[in-house]
Amino acid sequence: MTTEQAIRARGVTKVFGAGGLEYHALRGIDVDVARGEFLMLAGPSGSGKTTLLSIVGCVLAATSGSVHLFGEDVTALAPSRLPDLRLRRIGFIFQGHNLIASLSARENVALVARMQGFGKQEAGRRAEALLDRVGLGDKVDNLPAQLSGGQRQRVAIARALAGEPPLVLADEPTAALDAQSGLGVTELLRELCREHGRTVVVVTHDSRIFHLADRMVHIEDGRIVEPLLEQAS
Amino acid sequence: MTASPALPRLARWRVLAELGLRMMLHDKAKLVGTLMGVIFAVVLGVQQLSILFGLLQKNTMFIDNSAADLWIVPPGTTTLQTGGLMSDGVLARARSTEGVALAEPLLFQTATLKKPSGGTEPVTLVGTSLPARLGGPWNFVAGGPEVLEQPDTVVFEDSEREKYGGLDVGSVRELAGQRVRVGGFTWGLLPFGPAYAFTELGHARDLTGVPADKMSFVLVKVRPGQDVDAVKARLAERIPELTVVTRSEYSRSVVITLLKEQLGASFATSTSFGLIIGFVIVALSMFSSVLDNLREFGTLKAIGCTNLDLALLLFCQAALYALAGSLIGLGLVGQMAEGIRGPKLVPIVPPVLLAIVPALMLVVCVVASTLALSRIRKLEPGMVFR
Ligand SMILES: Nc1ncnc2c1ncn2[C@@H]1O[C@H](COP(=O)(O)OP(=O)(O)OP(=O)(O)O)[C@@H](O)[C@H]1O
Ligand SMILES: [Mg+2]
Repeated sequence: MTTEQAIRARGVTKVFGAGGLEYHALRGIDVDVARGEFLMLAGPSGSGKTTLLSIVGCVLAATSGSVHLFGEDVTALAPSRLPDLRLRRIGFIFQGHNLIASLSARENVALVARMQGFGKQEAGRRAEALLDRVGLGDKVDNLPAQLSGGQRQRVAIARALAGEPPLVLADEPTAALDAQSGLGVTELLRELCREHGRTVVVVTHDSRIFHLADRMVHIEDGRIVEPLLEQAS
Repeated sequence: MTASPALPRLARWRVLAELGLRMMLHDKAKLVGTLMGVIFAVVLGVQQLSILFGLLQKNTMFIDNSAADLWIVPPGTTTLQTGGLMSDGVLARARSTEGVALAEPLLFQTATLKKPSGGTEPVTLVGTSLPARLGGPWNFVAGGPEVLEQPDTVVFEDSEREKYGGLDVGSVRELAGQRVRVGGFTWGLLPFGPAYAFTELGHARDLTGVPADKMSFVLVKVRPGQDVDAVKARLAERIPELTVVTRSEYSRSVVITLLKEQLGASFATSTSFGLIIGFVIVALSMFSSVLDNLREFGTLKAIGCTNLDLALLLFCQAALYALAGSLIGLGLVGQMAEGIRGPKLVPIVPPVLLAIVPALMLVVCVVASTLALSRIRKLEPGMVFR
């Protein structure tokens, strides 16, 4: 099962609401993302970036069209199989850090591995190693409230990678950060994913980090606006 | 990429239980609020029940302590009260019934005690035949059973001494118009009616003007090794005009009558009130705690938790609330029961409640948590991107 494509989306549409209140958020998206690619998805507010990312991340169902992840048609899967698919295949980084407030940095990161079935010790050890990598080796016992915004987002990156997912999806991970830490966090994400050949899609408005992308995809009004089906490096 | 090990369900649920506990402990205000709900329900409910059991016991204690296996009572008797008399033909028939070791008359009449300051107080005068002393006094705090052998001597209730105008051992008072001597005191023998006062049967008849061949009840002791029910059946056959009941039947009938006629409805109301309040508090605070942490639950869903996982998380929280709340609540009730404890009422917490209460609260909390669960079920994991 060696598909070149990590993501292959065809004719993806999303209609919110019904009747007179229908809103076409996605109007037929075709996009391919190669394995190991670091892709950025940019576009004006309301253009459908988050919607597309949600569909690719299997947290939202498309109205029509298909999405294959690593060769598997996830749009055809029974909804009951999606949680496990997300747990094992996809790492999420959200705009807000969305850490569990009651858990320390280590426990937040370890949670994914523990859900996957690793023992507490092993999961904790992995979490510490990851936190070390994101520069928070000395903050493993801090609660999210005891960390700065940039530090929280680093914990979120560590959490997204803790399950060793082949695909990482990030929605405006730098939106809540200043320019300096935004750049740092994105560089870190790129570095960590590159090492393991993970595929990454980052939704962003932030032109200061565009240069880190292997490739940019622009979306406007629910459509991809540049011919971007070129082969990835 | 390391393959993750196969996922034993139990291990996963342990992770979720732990997470539930951590989330619960994190929000101290909610934790305390929810616990208060459970504690309130337990305290109110169990306290009411303990008082109810205490009151019931005050009204069955005479029968329970009578040392009689069987009671021969007027037909239609459901409670222990003064009333009709039976004649001693019954006694003779009872004594000649096979399996009967003892059949003794008991007099049970209201009498009036005159206070030195003027005014009177009613007592339930119990005349017990000597030397068997079935239905005689117990729980002495002054004097003892032997004082009944002294002439014109009556044993009164200790906690009513002030009410009776300051009684002491050796005091002489006017009871039913005749002078009697105070021989001793019992503690806590207080039914709903006037307190018991005990004297020897003949003396009691003198005082109340009951003829020497009349009595209120006949108390029967069965020969060792005899089957109580078999003797009861034989007695019933020989004395068809009266009712024969075992001690426990009589006691139960008092309980049932009191529950039906006086206590049941009000205590059921307050106990269920406690349960309902507790249920509502737990349901609302768990719901609001889910609302507060909606984003966290959405995140958990996005990273792969199923509704079942999160239901389990809530279930564990509910179980912990139920358990902790029950233990604290029962502890408090125990303290309060000690505080309330007095001659008129000794609250009773039957040990079985120690098992029933946590189990019941578990059901209440788990059912209450379904409100929160319904919110989680509706939660779209995609919400975390919003
Ligand atoms: N659940 C929903 N119900 C109705 N409309 C929705 C819903 N989610 C998104 N939309 C609409 O779909 C459109 C695309 O939304 P989306 O969040 O994908 O945009 P975006 O490109 O991520 O914007 P931003 O840069 O502001 O985050 C918007 O007009 C939005 O109002
Ligand atoms: Mg968006």
